Amino acid sequence: MTYPQVELENVSVRFGEHEALTDVSLSLRARRTAVIGSNGSGKSTFARLLNGLTLPTAGRVRVHGLDPARQARELRRRVGFIFSNPDAQIVMPTPVEDVAFSLRGSGLVRAEVQRRTTDALARYGLSAHAEKPAHSLSGGQKQLLALCAVLIREPLLVVADEPTAFLDAANARRIRDLLLEDMPQPLVLVTHDLAMAARCDEVIRFEEGRVVEQGEPDAVIAGYERALA
Amino acid sequence: MIALYRNGTSPLHRMPAGVKMLALMLFALALGVGMNGLWSLAAASAAVVLCYLLAGFGLGELGRQLVAVRWLVLVMVVMQSLFLTATEATVNTGRVVLVVVLAALVTLTTRTGDMLDAVERLLAPLRRFGVNPAKVGLLLSLTITTIPVVAGFATGIRDAQRARGVPPRPTRLAVPLLVASLRHADDLADSLAARGVE
Repeated sequence: MTYPQVELENVSVRFGEHEALTDVSLSLRARRTAVIGSNGSGKSTFARLLNGLTLPTAGRVRVHGLDPARQARELRRRVGFIFSNPDAQIVMPTPVEDVAFSLRGSGLVRAEVQRRTTDALARYGLSAHAEKPAHSLSGGQKQLLALCAVLIREPLLVVADEPTAFLDAANARRIRDLLLEDMPQPLVLVTHDLAMAARCDEVIRFEEGRVVEQGEPDAVIAGYERALA
Repeated sequence: MIALYRNGTSPLHRMPAGVKMLALMLFALALGVGMNGLWSLAAASAAVVLCYLLAGFGLGELGRQLVAVRWLVLVMVVMQSLFLTATEATVNTGRVVLVVVLAALVTLTTRTGDMLDAVERLLAPLRRFGVNPAKVGLLLSLTITTIPVVAGFATGIRDAQRARGVPPRPTRLAVPLLVASLRHADDLADSLAARGVE
């Protein structure tokens, strides 16, 4: 069993006048961690810190011992990131090319890239769509493709920022099961879906750029629901 | 859709992408500088027909490609007829059409990834002048991939305007389309960064 190695010490993130995170200190100690909270509470900013997409204005971030500010390239090799909008994650015209793109620069020979790509597409039920225009896929298929393109790099940690936000119920369930049940990697999941958060091992709740609760899913979700009432 | 590749096992499908692209360039060059009459145009047309047959697509696909360039043909014929003889206008238009339909055949028989690899190899000598072939290849790929996305934005914006009873006009489309495209470019940049592209 592997765990995410994430440490934040007194981290603040400021965008102009707006402070997205204020003096956040935490460490992740469960294999699957859900991050919940209202819109604008700092969840996505926290997630982006873990891949170096956003850098802290103050404080210290370490992910698998790496400093995102100085070791972003190495960090991104170890941390896969799934965005909510699958359209913005597809960079090649067809699924087979998009998944193979993830292995560019990996040093693998062409035949091996092809073999891994074919296997990965089959695993996610995308073989029949491998050569079709990627943007003609359904929302669920696009998100599966995004997931496939991330996981083929075999990251040590997967960060997913509202991965089911654009999906219908059936596709959301499929992505949910893949992330929470099938995927062996540790997961940091930003979500508004409290049922999904409840299936994680730990939940962190953000409000107004601060961590207000971290602990067992039932207790943190109950606290959030009380706050909403 | 922009991704036009169609699976196949024909000799043209198996031919390396770089060879096909080079052949296309040579064909365009030969048409431009060496062929001036109707007979040479007819010979070049026969070669293009042969290529389509060789690729296993038949004349139906060639017909579809010709229909796709009908407006280009119309504009060229009309414009050139004003200044040139009928033969010159026919030859000039024919040249352009032949190059376009042959280029379409290259994309029909070549995976985008293979084409980008070929572009990267072709541009490799320019590395010494500061050109990064991998980035040029990625730029081309992103352009191809993004065209249907931007077209989708345009459809969505037009639908939203119609739903509010605003008659769609190009001037009303421009600003929201630009904003949506810039936002998409930001998201795409994040996604590329997350996938380790610097």
